[in-house]
Amino acid sequence: MSEFFKKIAEKPFILASGILGVSYSSMKRIFEGGAGAVVTKSIGPILRKGYKNPSIIEILPGTFINSVGLANPGIDNFISEIKELKQNNITTIVSVFGDSIETYTQVAVKAQDAGADAIELNISCPHAEISIICQNKQLTYEYVVAVKKELKIPLIVKLSPNVTDIGEIALSAEKAGADAITAINTVNAMVIDIETQRPILSHGSGGLSGKAIHPIAVKKMFDLYKIVRIPIFGCGGVFTGEDAIEFFLAGASAVQIGSALYQDYNAITNIINSAKKYLEVHNYKSFSDIVGNAHKFETQEAPDF
Amino acid sequence: MIKKPRMVQISEIVQESKDVKTFTFNIKSILSNYSIQYQDPTPGEFLMVWVPGIDEIPMSLSGFNNNKDWSITVKEVGECTEMLFNLEKSDLVGIRGPFGNGFQIPEFNFNNQLNIVVGGGIGMAPLIPLISELIKLKIKIIVIEGVKSKEEIIFKKYLKNYLIENETFYISTDDGSYGYKGFATDLFNSIIEKEIEKGNKINQVYSCGPEQMMYELFHICEKFNISFQGSLERMMRCGFGMCGLCVLDPSGIRVCREGPILDSKILRTCTDFGKYNRDFSGKKNTI
Repeated sequence: MSEFFKKIAEKPFILASGILGVSYSSMKRIFEGGAGAVVTKSIGPILRKGYKNPSIIEILPGTFINSVGLANPGIDNFISEIKELKQNNITTIVSVFGDSIETYTQVAVKAQDAGADAIELNISCPHAEISIICQNKQLTYEYVVAVKKELKIPLIVKLSPNVTDIGEIALSAEKAGADAITAINTVNAMVIDIETQRPILSHGSGGLSGKAIHPIAVKKMFDLYKIVRIPIFGCGGVFTGEDAIEFFLAGASAVQIGSALYQDYNAITNIINSAKKYLEVHNYKSFSDIVGNAHKFETQEAPDF
Repeated sequence: MIKKPRMVQISEIVQESKDVKTFTFNIKSILSNYSIQYQDPTPGEFLMVWVPGIDEIPMSLSGFNNNKDWSITVKEVGECTEMLFNLEKSDLVGIRGPFGNGFQIPEFNFNNQLNIVVGGGIGMAPLIPLISELIKLKIKIIVIEGVKSKEEIIFKKYLKNYLIENETFYISTDDGSYGYKGFATDLFNSIIEKEIEKGNKINQVYSCGPEQMMYELFHICEKFNISFQGSLERMMRCGFGMCGLCVLDPSGIRVCREGPILDSKILRTCTDFGKYNRDFSGKKNTI
């Protein structure tokens, strides 16, 4: 096992991309709160302002819709943040996107050179042009192969639930050499203001995150665990220790936490402590002891008549 | 708290100066239509104000009352504020919030203790409900309003209902067209020296306005060992602690959540204060 995956195995809780991932200072607080690694905001080849506001709204308690549109300062401006992260000994996963195989690769290599411990390939942002990649197994294969070829550090591929069959995309990423998968990105969604009768988000639609998508993400995890061999990081609506444990039982090697952090930086520590308590109460030594345990049961395949 | 943007009808518009207007709206209909629990805002809290089709921006509450009439005071500075500025009575505007922490009024205020409030231009807006609260609590205050020129003076009539000009209420203009000629920071410095000479103890300074002004005020306060609270402005998408655009280095403090009102203790550790902020892409720029 590589150094990176050893670190993740020790502390299988990771800051998810897109949440508080702009500045090293916020990522440092989350890392110090017990995370094994942090994923930065998705970084592209050039500065990008993204969509105008409204771009992030809480639409149900703990459930959010966003269409940030991959706003980011561009890799060259972000290198100083990566260096700050590394100077603070923070295990750093840089989320990367581009507008072609070449730019994806360029950004990933620049992040690697700046000291990133791993790359998470964002091919699945639901409200940007790049989502086309994750919807096509051939494109997924081509992008992952190309980026992987230039990397010495692990490559994680983040997948979208907004596809007909997430399994075939995951297999394609695995075949292309991905070292791990993150599932899932946000779920396509929309909110309309009934007074003005117009979509609220400036972009019209966006991605749903938070509590409401957790059961969707658990199901995707359960399905993916059956078919891929590489580690899968569970992402989607983890707000409690129970939510995290569900992911491990469905097959996650590690759990990503994002939306829950809006309340307070301590949210991650509370989730980790509560998940550890579960291990203690049920006499497990580590989270790896429970990975995939929900697969042990036979479920009813055909309905009763 | 109103979490999803909700449309509300503008009930009153007051022209404060050539390019500043106060818009008032009653939020009772939002509360009843969407079963939202009401909590009184705290001075210093802000709303995300949505002009459909244009943008949504953070704006401090410049007023609120028991009848649940809330106000924002808008200066024309960009596309969104320009659109807001042109709205008329009965027009709809979207709001969510209030967000942030609000000013903390020290609980004890002994005799001969004084609070000073310093606003720079449109930065006076969130200070108005604070001043009302301080007056209600019978705390001795001095208010300083700093503007570039006479035409930019706002809230003078309102403040003169409670305060006496050149005794407890001072105005500075950069060009000397009204009141003290020079910066609010210089006026502030001379007032402090005068009050200390008189034997008064200043135990709290509150401020909102250009960050350079607040930066200087903070350092004057540090020199005199006076605790300071300033309202910071940063780019925001969410307003509730998620997007990370308003995070301050190196503490990770979020202006939208742990702020926007930050005190001396936090500002002392903040390497961004008065120096850097982030634009909408997340890039750090010099202020």
